[in-house]
Amino acid sequence: MAGVANTWGYGAMTNSLNDIRHAKSMIFIGSNATEAHPVALQHILHAKEVNNAPLIVVDPRFTKLAAKSTDFVRIRPGSDGAFIMGLINAVITNGWQDKEFIRTRVSGYEEMAEVAAHYTPEIVEDITGIPASEVTRIAEMLATNRPTSLTWCMGGTQHSIGSSITRSFCILQLVLGNMGKSGGGTNIFRGHDNVQGATDMGVLADNLPAYYGLSDGAWKHWCKVWDVDYDWIVGRFPAKEWMNKKGFSLARWYEGVLNEEEIETPTPIKAMIQWGCGSNSNSQYNRVVKALNMLELLVIVDPFPTIAAAVTKTDNVYILPGASQYETSGSVTSTSRQIQWRHKVVDPVYDSKSDYQVMELLVNKLGFADEFYKNIKQTPEDITLELGSGSLTIGYNGQTPERIKKHLANWHTFDIDDLQAKGGPCDGDYYGMPWPCWTTEHPGTPILYDISKPVAEGGLPFRNRFGEERTYESSGRTENQLAAEGIYNPGSEVLGGYVEFKEVVPGTNWKTDLSQKTIKDAISRGMAPFGNARARCVVWNFPDKIPIHREPLHSPRPDLVAKYPTYEDKPNHFRVNTRYKSEQNPDLVKEYPYVITTGRMVEHMGGGAETRSNKYLAELQPEMYAEINPRLANNLGIRKGDMMIVESPEGSKIKVKAKLTPRVDEKTIFLPFHFAGTLMGESYVKDYPEGNAPFTVGDPANVVTNYGYDIVTQIQATKDGLCKVTRA
Amino acid sequence: MRIEEEDMATVKFLCDVERCIDCGGCVVACKEGHHVPVGVNRRRVITLKQGEPGEKSISVSCMHCADAPCIAVCPVDAIYQRTDGIVLVSKKTCIGCGYCFMACPFGAPQFPAGNVFGARGAMDKCTFCAGGPEENFSAEEKKLYGQNRIAEGKVPLCSGMCATKALLAGDADVVADVYRERVFKRGSGVNAWGWSRAYQK
Repeated sequence: MAGVANTWGYGAMTNSLNDIRHAKSMIFIGSNATEAHPVALQHILHAKEVNNAPLIVVDPRFTKLAAKSTDFVRIRPGSDGAFIMGLINAVITNGWQDKEFIRTRVSGYEEMAEVAAHYTPEIVEDITGIPASEVTRIAEMLATNRPTSLTWCMGGTQHSIGSSITRSFCILQLVLGNMGKSGGGTNIFRGHDNVQGATDMGVLADNLPAYYGLSDGAWKHWCKVWDVDYDWIVGRFPAKEWMNKKGFSLARWYEGVLNEEEIETPTPIKAMIQWGCGSNSNSQYNRVVKALNMLELLVIVDPFPTIAAAVTKTDNVYILPGASQYETSGSVTSTSRQIQWRHKVVDPVYDSKSDYQVMELLVNKLGFADEFYKNIKQTPEDITLELGSGSLTIGYNGQTPERIKKHLANWHTFDIDDLQAKGGPCDGDYYGMPWPCWTTEHPGTPILYDISKPVAEGGLPFRNRFGEERTYESSGRTENQLAAEGIYNPGSEVLGGYVEFKEVVPGTNWKTDLSQKTIKDAISRGMAPFGNARARCVVWNFPDKIPIHREPLHSPRPDLVAKYPTYEDKPNHFRVNTRYKSEQNPDLVKEYPYVITTGRMVEHMGGGAETRSNKYLAELQPEMYAEINPRLANNLGIRKGDMMIVESPEGSKIKVKAKLTPRVDEKTIFLPFHFAGTLMGESYVKDYPEGNAPFTVGDPANVVTNYGYDIVTQIQATKDGLCKVTRA
Repeated sequence: MRIEEEDMATVKFLCDVERCIDCGGCVVACKEGHHVPVGVNRRRVITLKQGEPGEKSISVSCMHCADAPCIAVCPVDAIYQRTDGIVLVSKKTCIGCGYCFMACPFGAPQFPAGNVFGARGAMDKCTFCAGGPEENFSAEEKKLYGQNRIAEGKVPLCSGMCATKALLAGDADVVADVYRERVFKRGSGVNAWGWSRAYQK
């Protein structure tokens, strides 16, 4: 998401699931939506069937989505960026780029084109394994079937160059002129309904809620919203400097406990709360288990005891039975930035308590209930109101609990094609008021950066977030970063680019003016509070200013490691030293010859604590397995149903059943990541609270996913490691 | 009276294989909604050519045949057909012989799991969510057959759950119209059957 936000302002899906119905072509890269987002398929298949839209699937596996595709392209894991830069180059060399869109709404194009020129179809074939003719054919298909909806998921992000790969996706859509248009966009599917909401609320190591960052200004803004004394918040930290520093990330929190790597923290982590988190979704899982056992206190809040409860041998683990989504209520945000109210179906069963109750008991015990609940008298409505009043950056302020509930009660009045209510009590609103929803009268923004509509009616230009002017290092060229003359939303006072709104109320800007006068002033003048700028191809604050290919840390191609080496090691990357160059050993492939990649199965979810505890889902997918190509299996003497050992370069091993299938090619092993509960034949079933073990257990895939993290976001690189395979 | 009977719908399932994505939602909805024991499959999804070009999935259950072979072979007349075409079994009459299992081309009849020499027990199969011969909404009906959604005026759980609208259920004429309209819309270009062969694309 960092790559996307740094291109045009926001790091979220730009259009909506429904809007894919208008696509004239679709490309999915690193997304198996059929298994991960089955409900979205109705819209994807609609575009395929009704619009005759080609459905292009780019993936290392012939996935269930590939089964529905018109064109399947098998790619080597980790080479997505090279393929996309190749498409961009093919588009440019054939003159298929949207020249007017680029001239008026894009910056850094020339510098980017120079870099893309390296990725000729032949070079792309060498890096990705995709035939050169296919690169040109797919590029032509996209050029002749506009707009294209582009979707990626974790297959696009979980790489050491993930933030470059996501930017290449954005640039492709800019070059084709597919942004801000119905049927186009970068439609990054998030997981279940509140993954987008959780991200928006700052469940990140480097941000306060609504992407405000960690600066003093950000803290002061939220202190005002929470109505608590800034100095009191400062006093909660061991020293003020830690308020402004990134924390440990989800990907590597355990390093803060183990204290074996070089870490930068006032003290190693001693206690942890895992609230609705399956620890087996972490790579380097053996290290995770070691860290869980070193904690002085571990609290697990979950409807099901997770694997963390079973693998810990210490006495200081507390399992709090959290209620499920059906036993509580509140607002949730979907992948399409839509907010919906979720009503309670039943009271929490047995001893379980809703998340709000657990939080309240905890806060009372810790002794800061007065500060915590200052604005919250009625739960959860007041929570939605409070977070909305502060989340001005992403326009969460227009979606009041009343409006959200009204949408749900009248959902039948909304159009399936454009999400807009046609008549009825919500007339004109877009379902769920997709953020940004600037005011309580605003209908929501169904498509980001769409300049065909007035801002007051859901239109927006690209955000002015990166200054007014920039001189590029590579070319020495200076470029205005604001949109060109003639680019504006209907009704705009300024007929071209403009900077973000500030000083309407002295000392504030549109993000920090809690009176919201600034936002209202902008809307009344037909303008976007965040300005009207260009989307940028050059992200000067990233290590790779223009996306380039770099080989995975553990690469099967020593020759390409020499040509496309990884980054220098990065100390203090989210508080922990992170190895790149020193980890990239080109000879590793001699001993670990197969590529390992992981993914979803439709029956299970995340770490699987919930779904493996459902007898019917467990019946449908009762066993952990590894997908192996029949030819490779035969060469290794592994028969269908045999157990096989998968070993990572770190020396960790799992024992899993062999599933012989042509879904994977002869060089790739695929593992679903939902299993836990056994390890190399040892079972942890006895270690769950009695009667609470899941129906099905297996070795976690993340025991053998390799070391490796994105250079910007530190997301774990679980899609492009190496492994060794033997018959058990 | 007679006219009304003739006007009554004949119900049918139709699984649109271009739409079925093998998510298993229909299977789990059925099992969860009727509390079907593990091992008994009133519905399942079959996938052909898994992992290869041409991979197709189809959700299969009792087809509620117009001329049902299971009814023809049942030695105790436990299986019967309603006027709307739904084929049901009386579990209290069924002797668990398994003739219907042999006669059915779709493997629809299910028998409770037991040990090696275990009795088969009464046959269980898809009820089109219409319960059984017992009184509508009675505890006995629910225990033996699960919910009776048809009597509630609702569609079967499986098709109601289907995320991609692949599994259609209801009046055969309406189902046919929905499917025909879809086929028309897919009618040209890349999606038409035989298109690639005819035009070498």
